[in-house]
Formats: sequence, C-alpha cells, structure tokens
Amino acid sequence: MIQVRQVHKSYGDLHVLKGVNLEIAKGQVMCMIGPSGSGKSTLLRCINLLIHPDKGDIYIGDVRITSPEIRPEWVRQQVGMVFQSFNLFTHLSALKNVMLGLTRVKKMDSEEARRKATWDLQRVGLGDKLDAYPAQLSGGQQQRVAIARALAMDPMAMLFDEPTSALDPEYIHEVLDVMTQLANEGMTMLVVTHEMGFAKNAASEVVFMDQGQIVEHGTPVEIFERPGHDRTKAFVSKILG
Amino acid sequence: MSKRSKRKVLSTRTLVRRAVGAAAAAGAFAVVVWLGYRGLFDITYAQSIVDDLLDGLVVTLIAVAVVIPVGFVVGFSFGWARTTRSWVLRATGTTYVEFFRSMPPLVLIVFSSLVISLLLRTYLYVEDPFAIALGVGILALALHSGSYQAEIVRAGILSVPTGQVEAAEALGLTRMQTMFRVTLPQAFRVSLPALGNEFAVVIKDTSLISAIGGLEVSFAGSALVRGAIELSLNHVFIIWVEVALLYFLLTTIVTVTVRKVENRYKVPGLEAAAL
Repeated sequence: MIQVRQVHKSYGDLHVLKGVNLEIAKGQVMCMIGPSGSGKSTLLRCINLLIHPDKGDIYIGDVRITSPEIRPEWVRQQVGMVFQSFNLFTHLSALKNVMLGLTRVKKMDSEEARRKATWDLQRVGLGDKLDAYPAQLSGGQQQRVAIARALAMDPMAMLFDEPTSALDPEYIHEVLDVMTQLANEGMTMLVVTHEMGFAKNAASEVVFMDQGQIVEHGTPVEIFERPGHDRTKAFVSKILG
Repeated sequence: MSKRSKRKVLSTRTLVRRAVGAAAAAGAFAVVVWLGYRGLFDITYAQSIVDDLLDGLVVTLIAVAVVIPVGFVVGFSFGWARTTRSWVLRATGTTYVEFFRSMPPLVLIVFSSLVISLLLRTYLYVEDPFAIALGVGILALALHSGSYQAEIVRAGILSVPTGQVEAAEALGLTRMQTMFRVTLPQAFRVSLPALGNEFAVVIKDTSLISAIGGLEVSFAGSALVRGAIELSLNHVFIIWVEVALLYFLLTTIVTVTVRKVENRYKVPGLEAAAL
C-alpha cells in the first residue's frame, strides 16, 4: 500500500532522513518509535507530500507520488493525517471542521457533506458535539474531531503524528480507543507513538527510527522485549522508565 | 441556540451601562436648556449655523466613504502581500508600508494634490483642476491609512497558527482555499478591534483635506468663526460644540458598526475572560 524507497531529506547541513526504506501492507498497522529529532515527523510528512523528499521514491498503491506530475492535493486526499496538536480550525464548529474538506475538496453539496460529517463524528463518539467549537472541547474530543475530519475524506491510509502526546493522561485512552477501533476495521495506519499498550494491541509491526534511519523493525514483542540493536535497547529502556 | 438567548436577555451590566448613557445625555440636554434659559446659550444662533455645517458634513462623508473602503482594500492587499512566500510581493508591501507610514498625512495630501494640479494645468491644459486635485488628496489620505491597516492585517494573518495551514493542506485544500477558508476568516476576526481604531482615527484625519480647499466640517466651522459679525465667546463655543458633535456621531456610527461585525465573528469558547 505504502512504499518508501531510499528517501533523503536535508535542511541545509541537517540531514534529517538518510535513505529510509519502509513498506506498509494494506490493512497493516505500523507503529514508529524513536527519539525526538530522529526524523519520524519528517518521514510522515513526506508520505503526504507536506514535505517533498530530496531523493528517493514513495509509492501509494501503484502511484509514484514523488513524480513531478502528481498534484500534492491528490496525494493528500489518499492519505489522512492526524497531528500532535490537533490543528482544528478554531473558527469553525466540529461539524464545519469535518465538512470543509468534503465541500471544498470533494465538491459535495452541503446537505450531503453535513450527513457524511455527522456520521463520521458519530463514529468517533462525538455525535452530541456537532455544534461545539474547538475551544469548547477537551483535548481528547478535539483530537477525535481531527480524526473524524481526516476519516471523512475516505483515505486509503492514515498517518498519526504522536496523536496522544499533547493530551492530559485522562484523555489518552479515548483517542487510542478510536484508533484501535479503526485498526480493527482494517484501516492501513502508520502511527508515530510511544504508547506501548496501543502498539502491542493494535500494531503488527514496530519500527525504531534514529538519526534519520530505520534502525530496527519487528513485532511489538520483539522490539519492546528483545530489541536487537544497542540504540533500540537504550531507547526502549528509557521509555519503559 | 445559545446565540439567540444571549441576544434576548440583557445582562445587568448592559442595562446599567445604558441607564448611565441615557442619564448623561439627559443631563447634557438639561445643561443646554438651562444655559439657554439664562441667556448664556444662543439657541437661535446654534440653529442658524446648522445648514452650513451640514454642507461641510456632506464633504466629510464623501471623504470617509472613499478613505475607509479604499484604505481597507489597499491595506488588506499589501498586508497580505507581506505574508506571502514571494519576495517580490513582500518587498512591494514593505516599501508601500514604510513609505506611507513615515509621511505626515498633511504633507501627503498637500503634496499630491499640488503635483497633480500642476501637471494637469501644464500638460493637459485643465483650467480648474480643483475637484481632481481634491480627489487625489483624499486618495493620498486613503493610502496613508492603508499603510496602517496593512500592518493590522499582517498581524492578524500571523496570529493564525501554522499548524492549521498544514492541516488544511493535509486535507487536500489548495493554497488559495486555505487562504480564504482558514487563514483570512481568523485573521479578519483578530484584526477587527484594531481596524475599528484606525477607522476612528481616519475619520478625524479627513479634516486635513481643508488644507487643499476641501470644504468639510471643520473647515465649515472655522469659516463660520472667521465670518461671524460679532465674535462672541458664546458663538465660537457653539460652533465648535456642533462640529465636535458631528464628528462624535460619525465616529460612533462607524465604531458601533465595527462592533456589530465583531460580534458576528465571535467564536464560542474564544471570548476573552471577563475581568
């Protein structure tokens, strides 16, 4: 479904991605862990072309999205993205946040978009918050609106960039529940997270990234309990506390 | 639904505010009546100059009707230009702002209208370019105000978190759609109080067009003072009170309108905390 081949990205002297390879199958849930600054977010942003890689290729299905003929807007409709800081549009209600992409990108008429957006918000358990504005919602609720907003576009895959890192502990589980439910429904997901519980429950593969490279990958149990590489060992022991 | 109920039920604070306002107006009226009764306020004279001042008001209104919309459109465009990725647009915006902001509006008005009337007279043989020169002077004031509004709009645009722009692009919105659906509505909301402020300033700055012969309210006022047959303190006082009232009225109409727009753009949950 998603293939990343030898992707490089630099900012000036800073070599953020140094030839990353990654393959995610249809319906697979992959978790990515690694210290901050290791290039996880940059890699995620390359997959929906928010950042264009300097070198290397990325495929979604059979389409080489790094080809210059591909419109970035098209790529972004195929891959949904959820951010660490929710990034809801603060001037729009929950419903309008979800409707914006439907009416403007998918060109749905507003009645149809309203119905679809309502349904997607119900899916994340927010059917009673349609008219609430982001500032009136808790962090967990905001992040669920953000998930609904991405889901509404019917993407082939979803990218999550530390979706629970900005949340108060009491709200983390409600977001993870929604993500687990998505995983069970067969959504292809690439999740940057340090939530070990979620990785163990939902992911079939965990990759460890450090200094712009994928250092190690394996099943959650392999990575968390029997890491092979020293750097993985050091990092895992740190997040396990 | 909460919006409607808020509009119907007035808070005690609003009621108190309105009562104080009404009492102040009634008090001022009572003072005028009392002064008139004592022979200290010449009501006949006060009425006789109203027509002259209203003629001036028409010119002031025309100037305001040009300066505010033109200043807003120009300010908005250049303010937006300064936030784009294109360095040409940014440089143009910066040059415009720095030039018009560093000139005293009086100098801009007098200089531009002089230059245009000399040009018209010398090269196009226009005998009386007064009206055109006046128009150009008014436009110069609009450009001056626009340079302030450009900075207000730029600050508004910068206040929108970049994460929201990223989220809009991640949904597949184009740059233009992101600009018009996400950035600008929020930038506009944030800019409104400062824009209202600038409108209030520029209404009073229209008095500067009297320097190039624009017969606006304050010019009409000083003409009345100069032309008065017997110049009593009483009459001078009456003239300027009326001029001041007209400006007050005009400014209030504009600021109340801006506040109405502000309320329409209010976002639930984002109101400032009441102190």
